[in-house]
Amino acid sequence: MFGLPDITIIAVGGVVLVVIAALLYWGLTFRGHD
Amino acid sequence: MAADLFTIGVIVIYFLALLAIGAWASKKIKNTEDYLVAGRQLGFWVFILLMIGTVASGMSLLGVSGLGFKAGWPTIWEQIFVPLSIGFCIIFFGVKLHNVAKSAGYITVQDYLAHRYESPTALRTLSAVAGIIVSLIYLVGQYSAIAIVLMWLFGIPLWLALVIATLITTIYTAIGGLYAVAWASLIQSIILIVGVLIMAPIIIFYAGGFDHINTVLMGVNPNLVMPWNPAGAFAPPYIVSFAVLLMVGLSCAPHVINNVLAIRDVKYFKWAPLIAFVIYGAVMFLLKFTGFAGAVMVKEGVFTLPNVPNAGDFVILYGIQNSMPIMALWAIFAVIVLAAVMSTTDRLMLTIGAMCSWDIYKKVIKPDADDKTVLLLSKIIVILSALFTMVLAINPPEMLAILIWMGIGVMLSTFAIPLLAGLYWRGATREGALAAMALGLVSSLSFGMLNYVKAGMFGIDFGKIPLHFSAYSFIIAILAMIVVSQLTKKNSEKVLDETQTGWYISK
Repeated sequence: MFGLPDITIIAVGGVVLVVIAALLYWGLTFRGHD
Repeated sequence: MAADLFTIGVIVIYFLALLAIGAWASKKIKNTEDYLVAGRQLGFWVFILLMIGTVASGMSLLGVSGLGFKAGWPTIWEQIFVPLSIGFCIIFFGVKLHNVAKSAGYITVQDYLAHRYESPTALRTLSAVAGIIVSLIYLVGQYSAIAIVLMWLFGIPLWLALVIATLITTIYTAIGGLYAVAWASLIQSIILIVGVLIMAPIIIFYAGGFDHINTVLMGVNPNLVMPWNPAGAFAPPYIVSFAVLLMVGLSCAPHVINNVLAIRDVKYFKWAPLIAFVIYGAVMFLLKFTGFAGAVMVKEGVFTLPNVPNAGDFVILYGIQNSMPIMALWAIFAVIVLAAVMSTTDRLMLTIGAMCSWDIYKKVIKPDADDKTVLLLSKIIVILSALFTMVLAINPPEMLAILIWMGIGVMLSTFAIPLLAGLYWRGATREGALAAMALGLVSSLSFGMLNYVKAGMFGIDFGKIPLHFSAYSFIIAILAMIVVSQLTKKNSEKVLDETQTGWYISK
């Protein structure tokens, strides 16, 4: 796909998805207070 | 190329807008707190775009595409970990620092270190001096990037390009403080984001499209489309050290971390990490792809780069020049590049001003100095730091990315451990922090220089090491913190409670 080897898509795409999931989790669970 | 009247007009309007922001912001400045932390009144989007603008530097446009041009897909991790540094900064430093800062009245992160480690003089001074050194290194890289753009656009000599860039940035930063920097960053970041989202796809399409670019790269060298190199730079161990360098090093950089002290409400930290990552990540990926596109265009003879040592840094400029043969668009692109560079430059100069006037002068040399004097001194330091780095930038480094990474490497080794240990480990002591900071600073500067000249030390060839040089100085800082803290007296429980020290982010 995109002229790239599968390993490049899986490695880069996988890390991006993990990061987005982690930041989404942070947003859903953070209860900030001053 | 030499600019036409339209190009000059666009640049002049952009510069005038920045000066107008500086003049408007200067009316809001009543005291040092207003000047250095914008009265702690930054709103959600101003904060997010200030963070993006601060992190998005000269490397973001010129260096990122330059590195993509030179080394291909193995360098793509930069596009994930630089945007992630904003989230790391907010989550692991920002929440706690903001909560403590609001009650303790911190102006700079050095205020936190002095309080947490009960070291009003030694650690504050060392931290401020280290902060000034790393900010200056980083600033030289930024001014070099501004000069590259102005030289390209106007065909003017380097010294004149530097004088113009320095003058404009210095005026609005010196008169308007963080209010001016934050609002200028709002505009600069919007220009950067919208500009890259429009122009990068045009360059990629002009080079033959995404599939074609990757196919050509694979034909040149199959490693160029792999996620990592088999050995050496951008092999897996190097990428891990590179991830730590970018994500942690940038997040604890004085000019980045000080932004978290300036927001109005800690609730902004809820979604800011995700939003900043998605927006800035998209921009960074597109920029890297333009570097790949440039490599293909050079390979296919569409254009040739200038015969200079840092030719890779010019690739996006030549890419835009060829894919958009309308001079008016180049002017707009030049504004985008200038916006990216200036949004970091102004924040760096203000940070140096804060560390000199607040941390060294007000808190160490003359505690009874009145607010007016401190404010005036901040402005003078902003001007002096600009002049000093302008002179250094007259001899630009071989590759912009190398100098800027060195700056980030020094930031990582110097600040990350005293801050992380201070916030999360009640056993971290003042002596431990001093040792970690001093050894981290000295070792990273030494290893960085050896790496740059590809020399050796202690039998290690720094030109061929498997990790980024900063990993070694980072490990030295960790060991120094652990060993020295175990041997020295702990800080008082009262201070540890006041500074919310412990294994939690938010209670």
